[in-house]
Order: sequence, then structure tokens, then C-alpha cells
Amino acid sequence: MARLILTPEHQIQRLNSILNKVAPLQQRSAESLTTAPPKSWNVLEVLAHLSIALKTYDAKIEKALDEVKDATTGSWSFKARVWPRFVIEGQRPKDKKRPFKIKTLKRFEPILPSEDFSKATVDLVFKEFLTSYGNLKSVITESRTKQMRHPTFSSAIGPIVKFYLPEAFEFLICHAERHMLQIDEILASQD
Amino acid sequence: MVSSKATLLKSFFKDISFSEEQEETFLSAWQEYSFKQNELITEAGSLEKKFYVVVDGVQAIYLLNQRGEKVVLGFSYAGSPSGIFDSFIHQKPADTFLEALKPSTLLGISRSDYLGFFENNPDFDKWAHHFFRDILFGRLFREVELLTLSAEERYIAFMQRCPEALKVIPQKYLASYLNMKPETFSRLRASVLY
Repeated sequence: MARLILTPEHQIQRLNSILNKVAPLQQRSAESLTTAPPKSWNVLEVLAHLSIALKTYDAKIEKALDEVKDATTGSWSFKARVWPRFVIEGQRPKDKKRPFKIKTLKRFEPILPSEDFSKATVDLVFKEFLTSYGNLKSVITESRTKQMRHPTFSSAIGPIVKFYLPEAFEFLICHAERHMLQIDEILASQD
Repeated sequence: MVSSKATLLKSFFKDISFSEEQEETFLSAWQEYSFKQNELITEAGSLEKKFYVVVDGVQAIYLLNQRGEKVVLGFSYAGSPSGIFDSFIHQKPADTFLEALKPSTLLGISRSDYLGFFENNPDFDKWAHHFFRDILFGRLFREVELLTLSAEERYIAFMQRCPEALKVIPQKYLASYLNMKPETFSRLRASVLY
């Protein structure tokens, strides 16, 4: 497997792409946002899932950020370690496709009212997504001039995978990029 | 606006004649912005909201290649324009980053004020003609250098003409701008006189 060098700028640029893609979806009809192909989530459920996934990392990221010191050499560049890189690459879309489907753990499944997708629910899901991923971008921006030396922390699936901050950022972004493709597939099924 | 800032702006827009009222409106449209060293002024994927003139500091404009590495397209420094101009004009997400390599102070105006100047004073069209002509010639000159000169020749040509402020920024930015590896830049810096 080739080396994987992570940089905050690359992550910020991709997060901006994700935010730019999701924000206009708010203009779509409630029907479009809540209609799913067979055995799939709808757009709202995908966004709710992404917010849940990110929330499981909030405290860990915050704790790690408290432990890192200022750098004197500009923004960081981080070589992902072998096992985290394997996990990251499992999420990363290949050639604008999801390489394989991954079964979602129960605790990451979005729980939305099954029939009553009111405007308030729609607005709340978008607000949570845009706020949480906007915060992730702020955290990455804040980390740019820090030394990425801190105790590793467990991933959301447990201590079998442990991350440094850049690896956790990359995992979360690849995970979101994967689900952006799922949103494309859901919307394409409606055309 | 402090007079030194007014002097900087009037020097930058030197071809433009203002009535007293126009000058007051023009100068009042500019706001001062400060950025820390290494702060991102504009991110790729975001909209550029300002057209800047640099008061102090050095900034790099760069994009990321497919491997996520920075490719430096240019620098701005005291007295020069700055910002991601295509994003500013077309209001589409920027493809490039603008980063303060040194603590920086910039004067910026909004897009509506910038475009308003052109509507209200035909001298701005003359200014724009000279401004964009100089930028075009500068980019063409750089393209010729990149395509025809050796690494050593590019290094010498750049170091002979670049402002002193640029000589103290991290070498990796200068190396990228000159399309060479940081190691090559370092070797040339140690061995070549210019």
C-alpha cells in the first residue's frame, strides 16, 4: 500500500466540498429528501448518520487537541500508520464509487420519525450536519499549527483501531465522502 | 482611514482621478484585516469575499495536486494585490488557498464595492486595462521561465528580481514556486551566487 501523507489543507478543501454539496440540498422538496430506494436510507437519514458518527469523536478530538503543543514549523504533515491507513482506505471512495458496502453498527443508525418528516425535522437534521462538520473544519484549522504528538485514542469501533488526530480527521472525511456518493445514488434513483 | 493607507491605495490606483467626494467614498470602502503567520486567509472550496491590497507581510497562493501536495502559484507582499480573483469575480468556490506566510495586514473591499467603482468612475476601466495587462505579461514571462530555464537559471532569475521580503519565507514555498524540490533549492542556495 502506498504511503499516505495527510495534510490539514487537503482535509479542509475536501470538507468545504462536502459542505458545499450538502448546503444546497436544503432547497430540495421534503419528498425528495425522504424518499429512499429499496434497502437504502434516504438523504436525511444519511446526514443524520454522519452527524451521529462525528459526535462519537467530539470528546476524543477535544481531549487530544488540549494535549498538543504549538509547532514552530508551519502546518503539519502526517504519515498515516499502517493499520489506521488500512481502515481509512476502507472508507475512501475509489473512482467515485463505494468499493464495497459496510454494515452499519446499530448505534450509528439514524433514528428519525419514520413517517412524520416535518419541516422542523428536516431543518434540524441539516442544522446538526452543517454545524458539526463546520466545527470539524474549525478544529482541523485550529490544529494546523500544532505538533501532532499526543496519546492515540480509540476509534468509534473500539481500541482495535487507535488514531492520532490527522488519522481520525481523515477517517471521518473519507467516511463522509463515501456517504456523499450514497446521496448521489439516492438522488439519481429519483430521476 | 489613516493617511499611510490612503497613500498606499492612491498609489495602487494611481491612474484614477477622484473628486473629493469620490475619494472619500473610495477610501471608506476599504477595511483593514490582520492575519497571523500561517493563517489561511482564503480556503480552497470557499468563496473569496475580498479584493486585497497588501499593507504588510507575505502571502502565498497555492493549490493542492492530486497527492494533496502544495503547488505554489505566486506570492503577494507589501504594495501588491492579493486574493483569489477568479472566485472573487465569479463567486464560485476557490480552487486555491491564500495563506499568510508572515504576519500580514491587508486592505480589502467587498465585491459590490469593487464593481461599484467601475460603474461610477470610467477611470477604473483604464486602471483595469493596465493592471490586467501587467498581470498577463507577468504570468507569460513566468511560463517562459518555467519552460525554458534550468533549475539553476530559474533560481538565479528569481532571486535577482524578488523583493527581500520573499527571501525569508520557508524554502519549501520558494522551491515549489520555482518547480524544484526543496533539496534542490537548498543546494542552489548554498552554492550559487546571484
